[in-house]
Amino acid sequence: MTDLDYFKLSKPQKMLRGLGSFFTRLPKGIANGLKKMAGGFVSLFKGIGNNLVDLVTTFRDGDWKTRLSYLIMGFGSFARGQWGRGLLFFLFQTVFNVYMFMPNAEFSGCYYLGKLSTLGTIETYKEGRKTIYGDNSFFILLYGVLTIFFILALIYTWRVNIKQNKISEELLKNGHKLKTTKDDLDSLRDSQFHKTMLALPTLGVTIFTILPIFFMILVAFTNFDATHQPPGKLFTWVGWDNFNQLLAMDSASYGDTFRHVLLWTLIWAFFATFLNYFLGMFVAIMINKKGIKLKKMWRTILVMTIAIPQFVSLLYVSKMFAADGLINTFFMKWGWITEPLPFWTDPVWARITIIVINIWIGIPYLMLIATGILMNIPADLYESARIDGANAFQMYRKITLPYMLFVTGPYLLTSFTGNINNFNVIFLLSGGKPLSLDLAGGAGHTDLLITWLYKMTVNDTNYKLAAVIGILVFVVTAVINLIVYNMIPSVKNEEDFQ
Amino acid sequence: MSDKNKIPEVDIVVDEAAGVIREVKPENLRSKKGHERRINTTIYVALILISIVWLAPFVFLVFQSFRSYLTESGAMVNYLLPKQWSLDNYVWLLTDPSSDFLRWYSNTIIIALFCSVLQTFMVLSVSYTLSRLRFKGRKLIMNVVLVLGMFPGFLTMIILYFLLRQLGLTQTGAVPGLILIYVASSGMGYYISKGFFDTIPKSLDESARIDGATRAQVFRMIIMPLAKPIVIYTVLMAFMAPWGDYVFASYVAFGSKPNYNVAVGLYQWINVNDYQGYFTRFCAGGVLVAVPITLLFLALQKYYVEGVTGGAVKG
Amino acid sequence: MASVTLEHIKKVYDKNVVAVHDFNLEIKDKEFVVFVGPSGCGKSTTLRMIAGLEDISGGTLKIDDRVVNDVEPKDRDIAMVFQNYALYPHITVYENLAFSLRLRKMDKEEIHRRVIQAADILGITEYLDRKPKALSGGQRQRVAIGRAIVRNAKVFLMDEPLSNLDAKLRNQMRAEIILLRKRVDTTFVYVTHDQTEAMTLGDRIVIMKDGYIQQVGTPQEVFDTPINLFVAGFIGSPQMNFLKAKLVKASAGYEVDVLGVKIPLNEDQNAVLTEKEVASQEIILGVRPEHTTVLFDNAENAIECTINVNEMMGSELHLHLSSANNDKIIVRLPTVDLTKEQRASLVSGNKLYITFPAKVMHLFDPATEKSLIDS
Repeated sequence: MTDLDYFKLSKPQKMLRGLGSFFTRLPKGIANGLKKMAGGFVSLFKGIGNNLVDLVTTFRDGDWKTRLSYLIMGFGSFARGQWGRGLLFFLFQTVFNVYMFMPNAEFSGCYYLGKLSTLGTIETYKEGRKTIYGDNSFFILLYGVLTIFFILALIYTWRVNIKQNKISEELLKNGHKLKTTKDDLDSLRDSQFHKTMLALPTLGVTIFTILPIFFMILVAFTNFDATHQPPGKLFTWVGWDNFNQLLAMDSASYGDTFRHVLLWTLIWAFFATFLNYFLGMFVAIMINKKGIKLKKMWRTILVMTIAIPQFVSLLYVSKMFAADGLINTFFMKWGWITEPLPFWTDPVWARITIIVINIWIGIPYLMLIATGILMNIPADLYESARIDGANAFQMYRKITLPYMLFVTGPYLLTSFTGNINNFNVIFLLSGGKPLSLDLAGGAGHTDLLITWLYKMTVNDTNYKLAAVIGILVFVVTAVINLIVYNMIPSVKNEEDFQ
Repeated sequence: MSDKNKIPEVDIVVDEAAGVIREVKPENLRSKKGHERRINTTIYVALILISIVWLAPFVFLVFQSFRSYLTESGAMVNYLLPKQWSLDNYVWLLTDPSSDFLRWYSNTIIIALFCSVLQTFMVLSVSYTLSRLRFKGRKLIMNVVLVLGMFPGFLTMIILYFLLRQLGLTQTGAVPGLILIYVASSGMGYYISKGFFDTIPKSLDESARIDGATRAQVFRMIIMPLAKPIVIYTVLMAFMAPWGDYVFASYVAFGSKPNYNVAVGLYQWINVNDYQGYFTRFCAGGVLVAVPITLLFLALQKYYVEGVTGGAVKG
Repeated sequence: MASVTLEHIKKVYDKNVVAVHDFNLEIKDKEFVVFVGPSGCGKSTTLRMIAGLEDISGGTLKIDDRVVNDVEPKDRDIAMVFQNYALYPHITVYENLAFSLRLRKMDKEEIHRRVIQAADILGITEYLDRKPKALSGGQRQRVAIGRAIVRNAKVFLMDEPLSNLDAKLRNQMRAEIILLRKRVDTTFVYVTHDQTEAMTLGDRIVIMKDGYIQQVGTPQEVFDTPINLFVAGFIGSPQMNFLKAKLVKASAGYEVDVLGVKIPLNEDQNAVLTEKEVASQEIILGVRPEHTTVLFDNAENAIECTINVNEMMGSELHLHLSSANNDKIIVRLPTVDLTKEQRASLVSGNKLYITFPAKVMHLFDPATEKSLIDS
């Protein structure tokens, strides 16, 4: 079939063809991805190799200042008058040495690194009334990770320090001047301004996000739970056991519960995203229709739900739907029902109630976004469509909807992954209830993976499984992102927007 | 979208054979108008219904907060309008020695104020840098942040708690502890303001740099004055977020009642305590929290709308 | 007031996309050089490298005798005017003009003097307290130029400064830039895609395509002796006509055969071709519309053409013709001397005849696209 024949196809045929080409492209895409990864590895090793070669040649060809810098970081910079850089290198090395080889073994990096493979062997025990503390697995894991980070940072800095020496030597050989410390400081306001700006945020993210995530990933491979709580008890490495437990296909362990929760998480994310999307757009179109007055008032009324903190509005609404809440008591008073409706006690009712209340939460956001985009649709599109003889519905289907979908494609993606992790709505409305004996780990019928993770952490102190759930949420999110990123081109190229 | 620019709604007859627009059928104009009116009426009805649904919970909340605690009940009841309007609940919240409400409220305000300053600083630094400076590792940073963002936030709760405890920032130190946690990683939420910075023409920076400004001066003298909308948006978001946080706040302040924020305190009243007794007090507390925040939000609504719509379009 | 020297300047994006190849040029002190070419030819990139807004991937850039490859833009002592004006929207025109001077911590009185002077030159004194938003396009452009003037910079860079203006304003501003140049008397590097601007403004023109310099020369040189097909086609409006022809080496000398019409070359042309030992071959013959004579009746050595379109331009007609082997030809015909009958005959489908002398002919090799005589 030639490309031009494609235009003659009917809609289902086109879709079928599109789907077909997606799947025919899929193996190629995967192959390309693998190839890229392999290429990445190859270039990584090549890079390491080149660096090693460079290290050797720099040592061979360098002067004594450079050579001494292999041992004492920053020496070369010092010796060549760049005392600012030299000082930084030297300080870093000193801090590292002190941390690694502190006399008080309990605090030194080497100590924790040595214990990292077992996470501690000496049990805490009682001697009479006195408790003799043994190893603390938590500290060992945490400081072990920290030490590894530190070592990697040192290797990197050491490498930079040597590269600096090489560059300085070359510059001096060619008769150039080296940058003075004042130049370096000045450059932090200009050519190196990004370093100034990113220093603090990077530090914050490293300590409060990257390090903790690393730690938790490692926890997923240990037996850190209620029965293995430091400082009283040790925990240790258990390999993939926790993953096996959660992904097992039998109902004896957590496998069933995990699948149950995962399924509901995806159903929830789907409805929470798309129902809100279309209803929000619908409301926006109503408000923005020509001839409708008081546009601003309607908008403001809706926006109130965004403004009021969710713990007020959601908690209150949750109570409205309780067995003794306003809705049930009023219905009973009016004689519509004799028994309270099981909004939060029946699994199906609870799920539907949550999705409906979430519409109440979600429509205002979507209404605002849709309004912004509707205003941006070029008016001449509608004018030409009207001259071509289109009616209101046709114009919506052929112009408004495609335009919206195109522009908000990336938003839908973030919104979907955001809903997978939409803790507040579930936690404040139902708290995951109703609970069920069929479900393990304290999970309820409306629990998302994220609220289950929370319960595991706070109620059960089952950290190892919480960690595994966290990793699995990451995997789910990443897979969805990857697929969608490859399907919508508009999210890929950031420079296009500039 | 104003009425002035309204295009006359008329039927147009296209003569396909001749390929021209023939005429406007005047006899259709009247029925068209009637049709239009019917549609508008339907929309008005729908919008009024929507408004009722959206406002009802808040109206109920206010009604119940004014129910007399002493002569009626602090619990949930099967009627809406208080039989006796009173300020009992408010008085209790603000003056009773067994109420920590004022303490919680001031905790939350302190957190919100600090966050709105520090977070804005972090977010603007990151977004400006990633949007307008080009340097080695820029793409890498953006990808790393993207990947980190895919991990659920609560995953690292225990370790954050532990880190704070090492610094003495839990329980009695919960307020500074929470500020630290909120601010530390806030740079990762740079997307929306980066989207804003992306729309400022690059030639402004270039022109200023040729005029003799360093990049720091460009940031301070050129870009910041132009970024007012996004600064206000960021401040507003950072100020509002701490009011609604229950999870971290309850975890960090665990067991130390005077160091709760309002969300934790009120949540405990309604869920942990015998909430029947505390229900109207919860309502009154909710009103006290919601009213100032809502007013602030509505006053700055314009900036919020610009932020969200811009962010959604940019992705 | 300085010279700018570009030696083997190269720009490579993303390791494999080459935007500028081996650019060599010496811009003399107080010279006005125009980079011209179609979009994507690398002219703006080259300008931005001179400004320091783009890294230089290879080669050496000197301002006066100082190598400035790694010097920040602010330390190069240059001024630049941008296509979209790049005025700072939040401050007044006065502050826009004073911005660079304040950054240099100049004395307040001096700043005031210079701003007033520049505003005076450009006739924007009455707008000094306005914000850029309240100005028209032409006024904004003046402010942008003013911002460069106050600096007394060594080099003035202009990146398509007129292309956001409408046609009428553009002509006016072009004239003003010529005047401006006389007053500020410094080195100018000007980028445009419009050959008319290039011709009217430049002391020398650098014609670029696909990252390569095609030709450097005065406007007269590049108009009279284009060294390849691209330059020949790019410079001049309407565009030069290209006809398929044969170059024949006869005993009396070279001659060009167009559709059977034989035109012997003149002495100079013969001399060059003889020296280069050019053999008989197929060629592309280039003739500018303004060098073509239109005849209503056939004559000796005239080429018969058919009229396709007749464009009325006022003082002259632009006639779009096609030759017997379907080459498209445009000719210009002044309207003053035309009789009523002649005008009436200029309709689609009628025949016309054109001639041109040897000296206006440009001969190009179809394979290399280079001029056989001028390169």
